[in-house]
Amino acid sequence: MGSSRIAGRFAGLLIVLSGVAVVELSDGRWTTDEASASEMLDPSVMRGRALTMHHGCGDCHGGMHPAGAGWLAGWRDSTQTFIMGPFKTYPRNLTPDNMTGMGRFTERQIFNALRYGLRPGETPDVEITSNTPGQGNFPANPKYLAPPMPWPAFRHMPDQELRDIAAYLKRGLKPVSNRVMDSEGPPDFWRSAYTVDKIGPYPAAAYPTAQEVAGH
Amino acid sequence: MVAAVASLWALPALAQRQVEITLTAAPTRMALIPGATTEIFTYNGQFPGPTLELREGDRVTVHFRNELPEPTTVHWHGLHLPFKADGSPFHPVGPGETYDYVFTIRPGTAGTYWYHPHPHHRTGYQIAKGLYGAIVVRAADDPLKSIPEQVIVISDNRFTADGAIDLPASLSPQGTIDQENGREGDVIFVNGKVMPTLTIRAGEVQRWRVINASAARVYRLSLPGHKLLHVGNDGGLFERPVELDEIVVANAERVELLVRGTGAPGSTTALQSLPYDRYIPQTRPPTWNAPRDLLTLQYSPEPAVASVRIPTKLRTIPVLDTAQSTATRVMVLTQGMINGRMMDAARVDVSAPLDATEIWEVENLVGMDHPFHLHGFQFQVLDRNGVREPFRSWKDVVNVPKHGSARFIVRYASYSGKWMFHCHILDHEDHGMMGILEVKPSQLTKRN
Repeated sequence: MGSSRIAGRFAGLLIVLSGVAVVELSDGRWTTDEASASEMLDPSVMRGRALTMHHGCGDCHGGMHPAGAGWLAGWRDSTQTFIMGPFKTYPRNLTPDNMTGMGRFTERQIFNALRYGLRPGETPDVEITSNTPGQGNFPANPKYLAPPMPWPAFRHMPDQELRDIAAYLKRGLKPVSNRVMDSEGPPDFWRSAYTVDKIGPYPAAAYPTAQEVAGH
Repeated sequence: MVAAVASLWALPALAQRQVEITLTAAPTRMALIPGATTEIFTYNGQFPGPTLELREGDRVTVHFRNELPEPTTVHWHGLHLPFKADGSPFHPVGPGETYDYVFTIRPGTAGTYWYHPHPHHRTGYQIAKGLYGAIVVRAADDPLKSIPEQVIVISDNRFTADGAIDLPASLSPQGTIDQENGREGDVIFVNGKVMPTLTIRAGEVQRWRVINASAARVYRLSLPGHKLLHVGNDGGLFERPVELDEIVVANAERVELLVRGTGAPGSTTALQSLPYDRYIPQTRPPTWNAPRDLLTLQYSPEPAVASVRIPTKLRTIPVLDTAQSTATRVMVLTQGMINGRMMDAARVDVSAPLDATEIWEVENLVGMDHPFHLHGFQFQVLDRNGVREPFRSWKDVVNVPKHGSARFIVRYASYSGKWMFHCHILDHEDHGMMGILEVKPSQLTKRN
């Protein structure tokens, strides 16, 4: 999309050399400029960056903001440890490092983590079409992300926004090698904590529910 | 080059024996734990199955008969043999059917192996029911042949109150933990007995061939007060012995240990398994850090004998040269999957020409260990977690540590066909954590 807009605007030829945009303007001059290079960025990645910032991903996963040290690189010290009853959980490394981060997971697996709460390393890389375990590729024995990951809230975001976050984590971050301990948890991988009773249905119940009035 | 390779694997014309073995798998009842009998499966009515003693050069025919109520196979774990004789899921033997496994024991393969069923989805069940046995392959020039031997097959099992083998439904609470960890049992067997006694004389040296036949339990062996001399792995002796205080034996791995009787006449000690944390925290058993006794080592009352001398050089292991490698295969282990896929018998995951040398890089993204097994070909581990393997040995299982990696080099020698590679935690294997390497016969590759 970026390149077609540029091509349309300048009615010229676009080529890419080592990531720098070289544009032939309509008057025949060649130029490289920052603006056109920036417009070539994948807008999905850019939206994903904004979403990770205003959803506070860095509050737990590190760095607080994109220029902060350890941005989304996961647990570094005990201030990032969560005590969930008898269990300790550790925010994962979200950078695309192959061995310690998201590098070996696909954007679809990250999408499935945000929409369904499924641990990407323990869930097949498939499109899931049901919320019922055992149906529509939803694992019969689902393994959920450890709390306090707020996926029961994030799952209500539109598909595209979840894909944007996945795109940013996979393609918008430098890989950082930071091996995070596995989060502890109950042997059912929090299944009993994430029943419809407790976290509500997806999609959400029709508006207005008993607690709501139809606002005008 | 071709000539050199050919001579390495050439069979000595004179030493060959023709070995015929009859093996029958059938249900039977047996007393395994006090106060009950248990319906199990056995080979030739024995639990574990009979130890097969073979020599390098033997031409072996195993006449197998399946009297089980379901299909099975016999996999000759670690042996280098033809595809049709591998007993992989590609060659199931139906109930009431027979199958002849025909293979030749290649020179250079003396070592400790084992045999067990390998039908798709049912391996864990059939091994839990009792189907496994040891194989000892001897070389004519074994440098340790004067040392007395013990075969030590370690396994574990779990029983219901009425003595039946406890196999919970897959979605029951215990069933899901078994799927996760692999099924562990609270009763540990050594050669089919609970806490058997081995005897040793003070000063005596014994060669222990240890086989981990457990579906999932890993043993960290220690003999208090004794050093262990580690002399061999899956595919036989090292070049030189290595002295240790303890050793981890993962699923399907074998170790050869020399035990020197440094205890006093009449004393006893126990071979122990020390805690080993292979687990993901969610399903780590509460008893994981309790040491377990495996067997009693009883010193006879006679005075000490003079110990034998152990040769410092055991044999020469040919180098598989990384410069000869023509491909690197990356295998990413996630839970129950390899490279994001589950086993499909109709799919080939890796295709390579016969005789190719390749490097496999196995990366474990999961917080628990996964013992990775390749059928058909012994390999040499290059490094684990980037740390170079301290010495050369032949392996067919490498335990890939949690959140870690291992690299090995392998040559697909002699036999084309389809070869399984998989996690040897049997519940993971049965779930589909397995893939297929197809080795294709090629026109004899032109080499100088």
